[in-house]
Amino acid sequence: MQELVLNQPVSTARSELVREAAQADARREFEERLAECGPLAYRVARGVLRNTADAEDVAQEALLRAYKGFERLRDRSRFRGWLVRISFRLALDRLRSAKRREQRDTLWSHPAHLPAPANAEDIAASNQFQSHLERALEELPEKLRLVLLLSAMDGYTIEEIAATVGVPIGTVKSRIFIARKKLAEKLRCHANSIKMR
Amino acid sequence: MPCEQYKNALVEAAAGSTTPSGELLAHLGECASCSAAFAQEQSLFAAVDSGLHAAANTEAPPSLLPRVRVALDEATAPRLRWVQPLVLASAGIALVFVVFLLARPHRSVQEEVAKQAPAIVPIPKVSAAKTNLETTNSSGSTQVAANHFSHFHAARNSTNLYAAASSNPEVLVPPDEREAFARLVAVLNRHSDVAAALMAKAPQKGVLVTADPLQIPDIEIKPLEGAETETSKGASEKQ
Ligand SMILES: [Zn+2]
Repeated sequence: MQELVLNQPVSTARSELVREAAQADARREFEERLAECGPLAYRVARGVLRNTADAEDVAQEALLRAYKGFERLRDRSRFRGWLVRISFRLALDRLRSAKRREQRDTLWSHPAHLPAPANAEDIAASNQFQSHLERALEELPEKLRLVLLLSAMDGYTIEEIAATVGVPIGTVKSRIFIARKKLAEKLRCHANSIKMR
Repeated sequence: MPCEQYKNALVEAAAGSTTPSGELLAHLGECASCSAAFAQEQSLFAAVDSGLHAAANTEAPPSLLPRVRVALDEATAPRLRWVQPLVLASAGIALVFVVFLLARPHRSVQEEVAKQAPAIVPIPKVSAAKTNLETTNSSGSTQVAANHFSHFHAARNSTNLYAAASSNPEVLVPPDEREAFARLVAVLNRHSDVAAALMAKAPQKGVLVTADPLQIPDIEIKPLEGAETETSKGASEKQ
């Protein structure tokens, strides 16, 4: 009896140590992906949410979840696709709950990659257009929105988008086409009042 | 305003980022308003693409990765915190066990001394059979009985005592045997004469038991009182 009582925690501790070692390995490998995939998760979230802080929260949550499921997601392409989808899903959830609370942040952060406008008038016009665009993007159906966002991301090919979303390449192309047209329809009235480059 | 019949074709061409061809291209060459509308649509789609690119490629804040690392540390830390007390508890139990083993020889010497005393006195076979002890060696049975008896009392009086007694290897008693001893103790508690019989000094083996010859006193035959009077009466009557 005493032997049994002693053996149980010892073997549990040993298996726990083995698991800890495996976790340390996974952590190292995950760390390598983090530099590449962290910004990706953020961009997807930021494409849905127009708030930098919210997007950062979502990206963090998505990365934590990715780490928890890292054992089955070690394949790089699968990992990227999964991370994009979970980040997109979490961002949508946050957006919906924010809408429900009706406490949406009206101060939208300005995209860093926008080319430097020539003058103050252009800055105001450009920021205004970007705001309208992001709002219009928010109103797009989910499946169109994700494909359009990914197509706009640097380094994402149509093939990669198809693999990530899990639809044929033709479907990706038609979704991009439809989504751009829908956005243009929503923005046409604003385009006339904004000096475009 | 573009011509109505070319309106959709202009949008499709601009949306598809393709160069107009055929009929549309010919019309654009001769219709200024359609040509202007097409240019505007192209600008609109260019602006949409530019805005999308900006929205989709925002630079991640520098705080993101450090934040994630901290969150990962926090997510994995509780497990490590749980392992530490477990290891400490295991070490504690092991230490107690070692101390227990070290303390054991001293205790067992005392127990041996205590055990040897009743072991000298053999129990008559009849008593052993009476208490469900199906053993052939009477002295051996006495020793086992003594052990179980003391263990039983230890278990009844205190768990600590029982724990101390259980350091003895003989503690592994089958449940039915344990029950039998419990019944024996109950009987001994109720009937002190049985206990006395168990503890009584039995004759040593190999020594012949000497017994005094049976002494039967002489029988005194006395005539019955009634018969005596009758015969004397009859005799007197005959006389
Ligand atoms: Zn025309």
